[in-house]
Amino acid sequence: MSAGQTARSTRTASEARALAAERLIGQLLIGVTYVSVGLLAIGVVLMVADSISPTSGGPPLDLSTLGAQLVALEPAAFLWLGMLAVVAAPIGRVIVAAVAYARESDWLMLAISIGILVVITIGVISSVTLTA
Amino acid sequence: MVVGLLMLVGGVAAGAFGSLLGLGGGVLIVPLLTLGFGLPLREAVGVSLICVIMTSSAAAGVYLERHVANLRLGMTLELFTATGALIGGSVAFLLDERLLALLFAVLLLYVALTMARAGTPEPVLDPDEVDDSPAEPTPEASPTASAPPSDPPTLLDGLSGPGYRVRNLGRGVVVATGAGVASALLGIGGGIIKVPLMNIAMGVPLRVATATSNMMIGITAAASALIYAIHGGLDVYVAGPTAIGVFIGATAGSRFGHRVELRYLRLLFVVVMVYTAIEMLLRVVA
Repeated sequence: MSAGQTARSTRTASEARALAAERLIGQLLIGVTYVSVGLLAIGVVLMVADSISPTSGGPPLDLSTLGAQLVALEPAAFLWLGMLAVVAAPIGRVIVAAVAYARESDWLMLAISIGILVVITIGVISSVTLTA
Repeated sequence: MVVGLLMLVGGVAAGAFGSLLGLGGGVLIVPLLTLGFGLPLREAVGVSLICVIMTSSAAAGVYLERHVANLRLGMTLELFTATGALIGGSVAFLLDERLLALLFAVLLLYVALTMARAGTPEPVLDPDEVDDSPAEPTPEASPTASAPPSDPPTLLDGLSGPGYRVRNLGRGVVVATGAGVASALLGIGGGIIKVPLMNIAMGVPLRVATATSNMMIGITAAASALIYAIHGGLDVYVAGPTAIGVFIGATAGSRFGHRVELRYLRLLFVVVMVYTAIEMLLRVVA
């Protein structure tokens, strides 16, 4: 096999892996979206069962009590978990992409992926600090 | 319970109309919640962000599975839309709500004008009608479309796709940051900014630009939605029924959109948007 053929076959294998990663990321997004819709639907059904009006003002997010509230079938807990799943879908997509880029030794795209996650983390930390 | 049902139905309508007219739901959900249910603008923006993430994730998943979206370009621009969203999300809690309402009214008038002049601002792209094959190149999309990649490959080569070459990355970065700020301040997906940016300024084929913009909405809105949630600007009791409604409406809109006569719907929409903008402006004055 000539050097050119070797380079071409390496590139084709690399492209195939990139396409497979895109497919995986796509499936992840769809899957998590449906999970989040399911959680929100449970929350809304529980809201109706408990006769909670949407305009009564929902409780703020409290991660420390979320587990216990879920066990107690609190509507807000399912709604918050659904919201977190909604937000987690695109963030999970970036994480999966970062892993794929690391495997491909695509350092620039890996740096960009990490940069996105860093920006989101800064937003969360600064908001928590400000509200505290 | 009646209010919850109305929010669900309103969400269905916003999702369906948004999908049919190629708009993200945000431009419809915020006025629905503020003018229809009396929600403070900031809380409406928080709910809207959740809705646009949900609809964009489902559609973007399909686009990525079928290799229509340009993941590398999208992620590169996302770094800047997320930065813009971080700025916008933080600033949103410092601004007077009347100023936000004024900005939203201006946005509505711009969308209405764009729609009236040139049809839909962001073309409808039904994920289910997308081919399984990789995105078709559009030769006329870029004057450098047929140009061979440079040797050694540059950053732009790496961001380009089959049959087109990305250009004007610097402009893309600046405008993407602005789109992120607008998204976080007003609760919109920002496709109205990103699609023309990628298509006209950066030489990306329209189909790819639409799919890539859709994918980018998720991370942009997620960055600011978390800020809204932590600041108490996200009411889950409102977001639950509205988001489910939007998801149902957007899904139905993308499946049955081809059966709807869009001309009259668009006209109706322009009227509704102008009316809503006036209502928003009246609130600013009041």
